[in-house]
Amino acid sequence: MPSLLLTVFLLQLAIHLVNTFGASSINTLLWNLYSNLPISKSESSAEQRELKSQYMKVRKEMNAISSQDEFAKWAKLRRQHDKLLEQLEKNKASTDSTRATFDSAVSTLRWLGTNGLRMFLQFWYSKQAMFWIPKGWVPYYAEWLLSFPRAPLGSISIQAWFLACTAIIILVSDALVAIVALVAGLGSGTAQKAKKEPIAVPSEKAGSKEKEEL
Amino acid sequence: MSSAIINVDDALEPTLQSILDQKTLRWIFVGGKGGVGKTTTSCSLAIQLARVRRSVLLISTDPAHNLSDAFSQKFGKEARLVNGFTNLSAMEIDPNGSIQELIGQAEEGEGPAAGMGGMMQDLAFAIPGIDEAMSFAEVLKQVKSLSYETIIFDTAPTGHTLRFLQFPSVLEKALAKVSQLSTQFGPMLNGLLGANGQLPNGANLPEMMEKLESLRETISEVNTQFKDENLTTFVCVCIPEFLSLYETERMIQELAGYHIDTHCIVVNQLLFPKAGSECEQCNARRKMQKKYLEQIEELYDEFNVVKMPLLVEEVRGKERLEKFSEMLIHPYVPPAGGL
Repeated sequence: MPSLLLTVFLLQLAIHLVNTFGASSINTLLWNLYSNLPISKSESSAEQRELKSQYMKVRKEMNAISSQDEFAKWAKLRRQHDKLLEQLEKNKASTDSTRATFDSAVSTLRWLGTNGLRMFLQFWYSKQAMFWIPKGWVPYYAEWLLSFPRAPLGSISIQAWFLACTAIIILVSDALVAIVALVAGLGSGTAQKAKKEPIAVPSEKAGSKEKEEL
Repeated sequence: MSSAIINVDDALEPTLQSILDQKTLRWIFVGGKGGVGKTTTSCSLAIQLARVRRSVLLISTDPAHNLSDAFSQKFGKEARLVNGFTNLSAMEIDPNGSIQELIGQAEEGEGPAAGMGGMMQDLAFAIPGIDEAMSFAEVLKQVKSLSYETIIFDTAPTGHTLRFLQFPSVLEKALAKVSQLSTQFGPMLNGLLGANGQLPNGANLPEMMEKLESLRETISEVNTQFKDENLTTFVCVCIPEFLSLYETERMIQELAGYHIDTHCIVVNQLLFPKAGSECEQCNARRKMQKKYLEQIEELYDEFNVVKMPLLVEEVRGKERLEKFSEMLIHPYVPPAGGL
């Protein structure tokens, strides 16, 4: 059973991490990884970049010449510009739709891997005891609560274990965040001090120099 | 004359001869910015076409009707022969006005929209532009039944024209949706409405759907005809000035977007001061026009670019129009020694 205990803990940790970093930023990270993979997808994104730079070039060129003095040249550039713009928009639409499919697929997989898995485990092991607590440690109502909903009385149910893991993870992460904030605050405080000093020194020196000159 | 023949080798000939020669052409649009001479050009083209075709109809869709002015003869909603011609007719339609008439007719129980009544009116005001498109479709239906060999449209200034040409596809989509809905929910609606299918405002649902469906068919047929380069072409009229050129370029691109063929540009109101002319304004203007003419020739090398001079008299009446129309076919030769 210890492996199940560990699994539950790690699963809860993963859920917590996803919640902290945000699902959308994880999706973006995965998307960037995916679009940089050496498959056809990345080729089209390179093409898009190429198109964009070409478009900007034409645009710059078009803005540089006078439409009144060189109408023919300007109009030709304009045609090119319109064509490129249309192509860019079409490409963008197709990329967007691919991205949407990718996002929904990733979201589904992520849900299945975290919350879905948790629900499954909670259901599958609901009648099993995670471990037993010595008799008489806690009163009856507490025993009943710890074994809620279907684990045998006097044991810890998987639900209770999940809750315990969640509580610990939140506690530790809050503590970590607080420590990091404290350290960062101290660091920036000392940095400010350190900054102030070198500014003060040259001004004094300059002042003394001026005095000397005077 | 010989210069025109030599020109054929290096550039397309600067005349509208290609339109006269293309016997399959049925619809010819003449369009451009306001005040560049669309009406004069379309009248002249009609006169030239009348010489080589069995019958020609000239239609003005411009709300500011100029056909009557140009031929010094009153034209109306019905096609009427132009004085002095046996195979050239003209008519003026007001795209904005005719929907009101259509509704009026419908309320009196006659005309193409009869039976649609208040529903029709609601529809006409619910979708912007539908009134114009529907009246246009009605006119086209009429024109088709009149069996003219060639029909020339003297269109309203740029924006208007393009809206017309663009509209059929929009309307077609909307009507297809409505028809589909009505076939799905029609039975249920009829159950609610009673045996006769009477709508609250006195219209009949199945009958109305039938009317809309026939309208849609007309529009889609016209749409496919307009996209066929053997049947339809667009003649752009412009003057050698920046704004006019800009609009023309935009129009040509949009027409290409709608797959409407265009291969003729008429450059109107060209100044050709005589050699040693003292008119400062004329010379300055000629210089400017020359600049834009060069640009036009560089940009539209695949077009027939026709150059028409600015005359000292207004081009009105049959004789003057005929004289002017000659220059569409036989290029004008500017006075020697000019700028």
